[in-house]
Amino acid sequence: MDLDLYVPILAIGVLGAAFAFFSLAASWLSGPRRYNRARLDSYECGIEPTPQPIGGGRFQVKYFITAMLFIVFDIEIIFLYPFAVAFDSLGWFGLIEMGLFILTLVAAFAYVWRRGGLEWD
Amino acid sequence: MNEFIAPTVEYAELSPLLIVLGAAVVGVTLEAFLPRRGRHRIQVVFTLVALVAALLATGWVAAGLDEVEGASGRGLIAAEGAIAVDGPSVFMWGVLLVFSIISVMLFAERRIEGGVSAFAGQAAALPGTEAEREASRQGIEHTEVFPLVLFAIGGMLLFPASNDLLTMFIALEVLSLPLYLLCGLARRRRLISQEAAMKYFLLGAFSSAFFVYGIALVYGYAGSFTLADIHAAVDNNTGSTNLLLAGMGLIAVGLLFKVSAAPFHAWTPDVYQGAPTPVTGFMAACTKLAAFGALLRVFYVAFGGAQWDWRPMIWVVAALTMAIGAVVALTQSDIKRMLAYSSIAHAGFLLVGFAGAYGGDGITSLQSVLFYLAAYGFSTIGAFAVVMLVRDPGGEATHLSRWAGLGKTSPLVAGVFAFFMLAFAGIPLTSGFTSKWTVFSAAWAGGAWPLVLLAVGMSAVAAYFYVRVIVLMFFSDPVVDGPTVSVPSLFTSSALVVAVVATVVLGILPGPVLDLAQQAGAFVR
Amino acid sequence: MDATPFLTLSALLFTIGAVGVLVRRNAIVVFMCVELMLNATNLALVTFARVHGQLDGQVAAFFVMVVAAAEVVVGLAIIVSIFRARRSISVDDASLLKY
Repeated sequence: MDLDLYVPILAIGVLGAAFAFFSLAASWLSGPRRYNRARLDSYECGIEPTPQPIGGGRFQVKYFITAMLFIVFDIEIIFLYPFAVAFDSLGWFGLIEMGLFILTLVAAFAYVWRRGGLEWD
Repeated sequence: MNEFIAPTVEYAELSPLLIVLGAAVVGVTLEAFLPRRGRHRIQVVFTLVALVAALLATGWVAAGLDEVEGASGRGLIAAEGAIAVDGPSVFMWGVLLVFSIISVMLFAERRIEGGVSAFAGQAAALPGTEAEREASRQGIEHTEVFPLVLFAIGGMLLFPASNDLLTMFIALEVLSLPLYLLCGLARRRRLISQEAAMKYFLLGAFSSAFFVYGIALVYGYAGSFTLADIHAAVDNNTGSTNLLLAGMGLIAVGLLFKVSAAPFHAWTPDVYQGAPTPVTGFMAACTKLAAFGALLRVFYVAFGGAQWDWRPMIWVVAALTMAIGAVVALTQSDIKRMLAYSSIAHAGFLLVGFAGAYGGDGITSLQSVLFYLAAYGFSTIGAFAVVMLVRDPGGEATHLSRWAGLGKTSPLVAGVFAFFMLAFAGIPLTSGFTSKWTVFSAAWAGGAWPLVLLAVGMSAVAAYFYVRVIVLMFFSDPVVDGPTVSVPSLFTSSALVVAVVATVVLGILPGPVLDLAQQAGAFVR
Repeated sequence: MDATPFLTLSALLFTIGAVGVLVRRNAIVVFMCVELMLNATNLALVTFARVHGQLDGQVAAFFVMVVAAAEVVVGLAIIVSIFRARRSISVDDASLLKY
């Protein structure tokens, strides 16, 4: 097998690692070091972190519900990619069929929304 | 790049499928927007209307099927080769939809539980907590069961009709996933019900992983998922035989699991016992039918040329299944478990018909199996409907000892149950006799006579435990403060009447239905 | 292209998954092993698609992925409800149903 093909991949890997080390080192050298409670908390997009499962606790069920909803709606997008590739040739047929597909997703989404699956508290 | 041609879909011929699956989606939307009060009634009516509409559409499709030139079957291959709308498909669609209508009527039963359904009030409320009691006090119930059962029915319609392995896999999952959930939704004995759901789910997912790996190997062998192409590859003997044999074996594992054949039957008793009884009846009749349809289609259409490779395997499985079902049923003390083992034994009898693989004059193996499934389904749903009626304060009285002397306290219900037992045993003048007769004679004609002799022997063993229940009900003394027999609403009573009438008619006058099965002809490639 | 290494890897992954289902006790881990089996299938499908020079196998892999996601949702729902009721998801503890 011709290993030369893999040289660019190796180069990308080295560059990536170098960048990571460089960023960490730069912030360590240049940044001020002031620690408070907010700094030590886990980062959740800047909002107050929800209770943590530290010390043998367990994640609450609502995490699983959100994760499950995410997985389902996320994965269904798989079918949009092949459709997007052949969009031109499929024409109206493809558009209508995809519309129906999205409609079934909307039905599920409406159910989740009305049953309070999207409410955090 | 190649020219891309947009696919065509034969919407008219696929209308039964589209109606059921579309209704399921609409059912989910109804769940989202209807107020809680009155939702149950609307969902029941909507589901039944959708199923009847699908049944009518099936009749219309059946009337319009054309003969295929140069082959023995009628029908067409729809949706770019994904779905075969042929005689056997349409026959199974019709029977499945009739069973589904009866089952949904059992799902809708509310009088037995005192105004609520047999399903958990709130699946999220923990068993035995105040939240659960509060939910049942307020009469909250999960009307989601109706969209779920519609999805399962949609999958079952697609499963035996799928003409390529990928469609078959999707159909398998569409029918299984709602069933896993339905199994865990019993109102009474919820821990057992949840446990049944988990066992069914883990084992079901395990077996479908085998199934899909088998599909991958067969795809590697034939270079196509379509059954006709696989058939051609088998005939021309292209590719590696090892891939074919391994793939065929793995696909068989997945399908034999669904029909609950030994040695893949271990889930059946647990799931049948734990699931809500209407769901058990539905599974026993409809899943079995759909899975046998798919099994027959894959092995007769795609692997027909490799018969001599798979027939010995099916012989062994059939013998094992009959033996385990009939013998272990003898030791059961729970009525639902006993019916589960009886269902395993019947899967064995059906496999005898399958193993015969007789395709000549008269009734073929395929047609005999179709008839058997139709006859067996009615009696099964009926038997589980009776189990729903016999109750203790804590729920259904499923322990066999509680049924002692039932014939003296409630002769009608006990009589109906005894009649179904006789049908299972295959006593003449019931549907069990005619269906066993057709299956065994087709298998005999196919040269599987040792298997038929064994099947007759096992029928005798099975008859013993069926008759034992009858003796228990009519010839022993009633238990002190024994179970009460609830008076059901019109739903369950009419379902029971249909089941009894069908079992009698198929026993005395099997002609019309047998003709229908014969007209179904053969699978179309 | 020589497909043997890919198919060998796929078979190995499938076997690891199958053995895991049989020997592990935690329902979540059992379930993860099933997912491993499905992913092994995907590898085999994609390999065969390459061998035959078609797209069919890749499309099938898409469908298997979607089915796996749907299975995750149904499975986790069932396992979480069991855990909340019993505080345990060992498949050995779930033994109310037997003979």
